[in-house]
Amino acid sequence: MAASPMADTDMEDFRAEARSWLEANMEAKPRLSRLGSSDSRTHEEIAASRDLQRKLFNGGWAGISYPSEYGGRGLTAAHERAFKQESLGFVMPDFGGAGHVMFGAIGRSLLAHASAEFLQRHIPRILSGEELWCQFYSEPEAGSDLAGIRTSATRDGDRWILRGSKIWSTGANHADCAMCLARTDWNAPKHRGLTWFAVPTDAEGLTIRTIMQINGAAGFCQEFLDDVEVNHDDIIGEVNKGWAVAQTMLVYERGAGDAGPTPAEPRRLAPDLVALATKAGRASDPVARQLLARAHVNDYAQFHLGRRVAARLRSTQTPDPAVAAYGKLASGTLAPIRARIAVEIAGVAALGWAGGDSSAQQTATDYLNGRMGSIAAGTNEMQRNGIGERVLGLPREPSFDSNKAFAEVVRAARNWDGRVG
Amino acid sequence: MDPSASDDQKMIMESSARLMDQLCPMTQVRANAYRDSGFALTYRRQASELGWFSMLVPEDLAGGNVSGNGVLDATLIAFERGRHLQPAPFVGTNVVAYAVARDGSPDHKAKVLPGLTSGEVAAAWLPLPTTPGQGISATRTSAGYELSGRSTHIQDADSAAWLLITAEADSGVVQALVEPTAPGLTITPLDSLDITRRFAEVEADKVEVSAEALVGHGDARELVERQLAVACVLTTAESVGAMDHDFEMTLQYAKDRIAFGRPIGSFQAIKHLLADTSLMLEMSKAITLAAANSVGADDGYGLEAASMAKAFVGDCAIDLAQNCFQVFGGIGFTWEHDQHLYLRRITTDSALFGDPAWHRERLCQLAGL
Repeated sequence: MAASPMADTDMEDFRAEARSWLEANMEAKPRLSRLGSSDSRTHEEIAASRDLQRKLFNGGWAGISYPSEYGGRGLTAAHERAFKQESLGFVMPDFGGAGHVMFGAIGRSLLAHASAEFLQRHIPRILSGEELWCQFYSEPEAGSDLAGIRTSATRDGDRWILRGSKIWSTGANHADCAMCLARTDWNAPKHRGLTWFAVPTDAEGLTIRTIMQINGAAGFCQEFLDDVEVNHDDIIGEVNKGWAVAQTMLVYERGAGDAGPTPAEPRRLAPDLVALATKAGRASDPVARQLLARAHVNDYAQFHLGRRVAARLRSTQTPDPAVAAYGKLASGTLAPIRARIAVEIAGVAALGWAGGDSSAQQTATDYLNGRMGSIAAGTNEMQRNGIGERVLGLPREPSFDSNKAFAEVVRAARNWDGRVG
Repeated sequence: MDPSASDDQKMIMESSARLMDQLCPMTQVRANAYRDSGFALTYRRQASELGWFSMLVPEDLAGGNVSGNGVLDATLIAFERGRHLQPAPFVGTNVVAYAVARDGSPDHKAKVLPGLTSGEVAAAWLPLPTTPGQGISATRTSAGYELSGRSTHIQDADSAAWLLITAEADSGVVQALVEPTAPGLTITPLDSLDITRRFAEVEADKVEVSAEALVGHGDARELVERQLAVACVLTTAESVGAMDHDFEMTLQYAKDRIAFGRPIGSFQAIKHLLADTSLMLEMSKAITLAAANSVGADDGYGLEAASMAKAFVGDCAIDLAQNCFQVFGGIGFTWEHDQHLYLRRITTDSALFGDPAWHRERLCQLAGL
């Protein structure tokens, strides 16, 4: 895409303006900032981030690519990216994974599907840090099969009563509001009876519990909705047309429109693994050298796959977002391999360490965290289905649940005798 | 192959594909048509009109490329060649042309380059050994060097007009451009796993080379490393082309073949295998183009990038071929089916100019580890 000289000047002016505002208003990041990106945040950290978000909002730097009528700046994704790059050296609001979900998947889905009145009510509050949002999406009985959720919403005049349980909600313990998917028609096929609701997290009947993960952190939550009441105008999109909203959300969740800074090409031979091998006295061990070079080659291939996917998405008039599944499947399959390589190189040093030695502990923590990408935000298997069916054009598996009332699907599954046809 | 390819690049790829379909389709590949010297000459001449042997030679030496990055252009051609499992020493001839154009003497440039770029003759490139028990050594003499040793599995060495021999000397690495008729040189054709191309063993027994035959002054190690990077990128690109076509055949088969009442590609067992395989292919294309861009742009990272591509694709290619076999089932194990030709080609490419493990070790050394 060739940018006109005019646009270049405009972008340079924008960057200069951003730099001078950041320098005047935000604190420089300490050189040794916290490594890793654990999703758990303390209440104090969230409160501090809200203050910083408010500062950005007041300065006109929140929601740079959001429409100006809702408190954004109405500029492009390129401006958003430029600002992110300029702000790398400063302490910025950090809501963890919840921030990514809120300003990406949730914000974009709201903009695409919620009413103007709803957007007036909520978007400025989101952009100013006043209202943090999370998703109530997956359920204990519906993960990969998202359209198979069972939380129900029953209409009672102008009110809707929500009943069920949600899980894997990032940052729900800090959120003020949730975007909740519920079944509003049990007699329709599964994709056609779903509706999204905005649910305040302090609603009566709503219980939120944090989930302790395998790494000891608590970034996710489970919720119980016991007759939670919401208003009809808390509906996002249209009744029974929630799947269209979910599609938008999934596209953004997989990273489309992600305004995050582009990582640099990994040119240095896996520095973390070289350090591990050196520390373990294995820098000359041919086995360790093969392992760390293998990891480095994978890193490099994965980086260039990301560029290729972006180029493929740019190169056609109607880009198929399914191509983005390649990036997700690559990280979902390679991250566990890389984590395993680190443990193999470090040997017992990765398995036991003197209490409090956080650098030694890092390999073990990464080993556990390395599993996350193969499940979270779409399992490897769902990516394989997406690639197989939408990129490669292979036919779908026959299904037990399409064109059948969802209530009947659930009943039939419970009573299934294991026979087909 | 390259979603960012220009119209000119696409045109070269399309014309190349057309030429191969007309002149050397799979029936000719299977019949080893290129072993006939008349066929070989026609083939090279027609290919040279599309610039196959000119991309790495500057315009003032009668070469020229399409995009400004000749390595990238040659990579795109190599990809198409791989898809068609083409014979002819494309890699060897291009690497020798590159070496002569870059570091050859004026006399070499005048005597050797016109024949190579016009397709009149072909060349073979003999690298430093990547397996033990191989290699040619050079001993200093009053007039130049004396070469002795063995270099094996060199593509079309027996029909090359020029051999660029790389040898280890006490003083470092030397490279000499030698004619196959040089006294003491024995070139023996080999039977090989890959039946789509011809390989030969080159034995040097006290082959005298004069100072005029040398390419580069002093230690030629750095020149040889650059040549290796080019050889790796082009070989990898041919491999990725072969992978691309193998996968394409397999995908079509998964859509056409019916079992248990439906196309086998609708079963997740097959669908997921193909999704994983296509991911390997996408990553292989991505890393090969990255290496081609880097080597061609001379951005200081070409040696590493080329080794990474060679290592990554060398492993993926064999996995891909196996996965394709699995989808084809019994029919893929028949002589008539092209599947085995792709497996043979892919496996050979993986081992040429350093196998994946060799390049991983090299990456450690390049990083100073």
